[in-house]
Amino acid sequence: MARKSRPLTGAAKTAYLKRVVRAEADIDAAAAERLTSRLNAEIASLSLRNADDEALAEAAAMAQIETASAHAEPVPADMATATDTATPVQQPQTAAAPATDSETFDPYSPNVVVVIRTRGRDATLAALSEIREVANLKLLAREQQLGIASDLASPDEIRLAIVAAAERRIANRRAAAS
Amino acid sequence: MARFLAIANRKGGVGKSTIAVMLAHAAAAWGKKRVLVLDLDTQCNASLMLVGGEGWDKARRAGLTIADYFFDRFEKVAEDESHYTIQNVGDVAHPKNAAGRLALLPGSLMLEDVQGELYLRQAKRGVDPDTVADEVRNRMKRLMKHFGMDYDYVILDCPPGLSFAALAAIDLADQVVVPFRPDFVSQFALDRVALLIERVENADQLEDIRFADRRYACLPNYVTNKGRERMLIDQIALDHPLLEARVPLLDSVARAFDWDDTKKTMAEKYGDALPHLRKLHDEIFSGATWLAKTG
Repeated sequence: MARKSRPLTGAAKTAYLKRVVRAEADIDAAAAERLTSRLNAEIASLSLRNADDEALAEAAAMAQIETASAHAEPVPADMATATDTATPVQQPQTAAAPATDSETFDPYSPNVVVVIRTRGRDATLAALSEIREVANLKLLAREQQLGIASDLASPDEIRLAIVAAAERRIANRRAAAS
Repeated sequence: MARFLAIANRKGGVGKSTIAVMLAHAAAAWGKKRVLVLDLDTQCNASLMLVGGEGWDKARRAGLTIADYFFDRFEKVAEDESHYTIQNVGDVAHPKNAAGRLALLPGSLMLEDVQGELYLRQAKRGVDPDTVADEVRNRMKRLMKHFGMDYDYVILDCPPGLSFAALAAIDLADQVVVPFRPDFVSQFALDRVALLIERVENADQLEDIRFADRRYACLPNYVTNKGRERMLIDQIALDHPLLEARVPLLDSVARAFDWDDTKKTMAEKYGDALPHLRKLHDEIFSGATWLAKTG
């Protein structure tokens, strides 16, 4: 296979840096993101030593993916993604502080089923208590497919209903696997 | 003896054949391994991806499919089985005399009928149905195992459902990759296939088996990176070991399996899916890998 040195710039450079930094298991996702941003800002181009054709093709393909995903749905920093390959997916993410502003609200955080199973009911209610707007609580229930009565109006009632629905979901799945 | 890798899920439409063929190409082209794909699915998609419609039809007419193999050899002493396989399949270029190569035992539309026929034949001996079913499954398992002598990896592309052939393949496999679409229904399918693979009866018994000791790992396939998918994958990761690799929903993957007998490089064939396939390949086949972990 032909060995050659070729500069990487732009999206290909960014993709390469991301891949290298994310491959380091000791660096968590947030630190990896910061490190990649800084390297990307300070390095104009990279010249890969001993890059073979396949490696360069991979870098180019990765750059396309990165460019495409820049237009995709925003990804919360605390969740695994299709291209965030360094995230240890066998350690499910639990509750990060949910956003309370409607424009930035992430209806998948906290992941109610995961928090109930890993930290219990009280911790789930505590995590949900950070979401204050009724509309956001209802949006979370809808997006996480946790059925709650539509006429509930108080945040406390909705939080309890969400937890109850998640408990039903867990029991339902367990029953089907027996 | 080869390592046997099953690609299985009782649920259909999760990309089993696509993943089987991608891994087979990768192990042969990148890993320089001798790889055989056993197409156990009556849809024969892996066969169509690897030899095209005409190639598959030719094998079928010559009586050289997996159904023919099971039928012909069910009661005979094992002989040379290599003439049932087609060598150097697929459309990824291999240099002459390269170490890696890819072979196929083609699938058959008749496999389910043949399994029924073999079952009835055994049942005529007056043995109870469960014993007959065990005999058919065990014989199929032994017949598949024969191929292990000539290859480094045998990839078993399993059908959906629970045919004798699927059960035999799962039983034979050193490891099982379980592709799934990250949706709500898939959770149930994963729970059930996990019981089958680990030979336990309920979720409590499954929980007693550490992730590191399980024979299977799940692979999120057709991933579009939406919040709901990430949420479901995190939920699934509570109960099942997941591979770190993800296979996104990409046109390049779909296009890669339009049959074309022009030989290509891996980069040409898989396009922007290549880095994802590389990661999947490395995770499964390279170094102190998952596939080498047991057995």
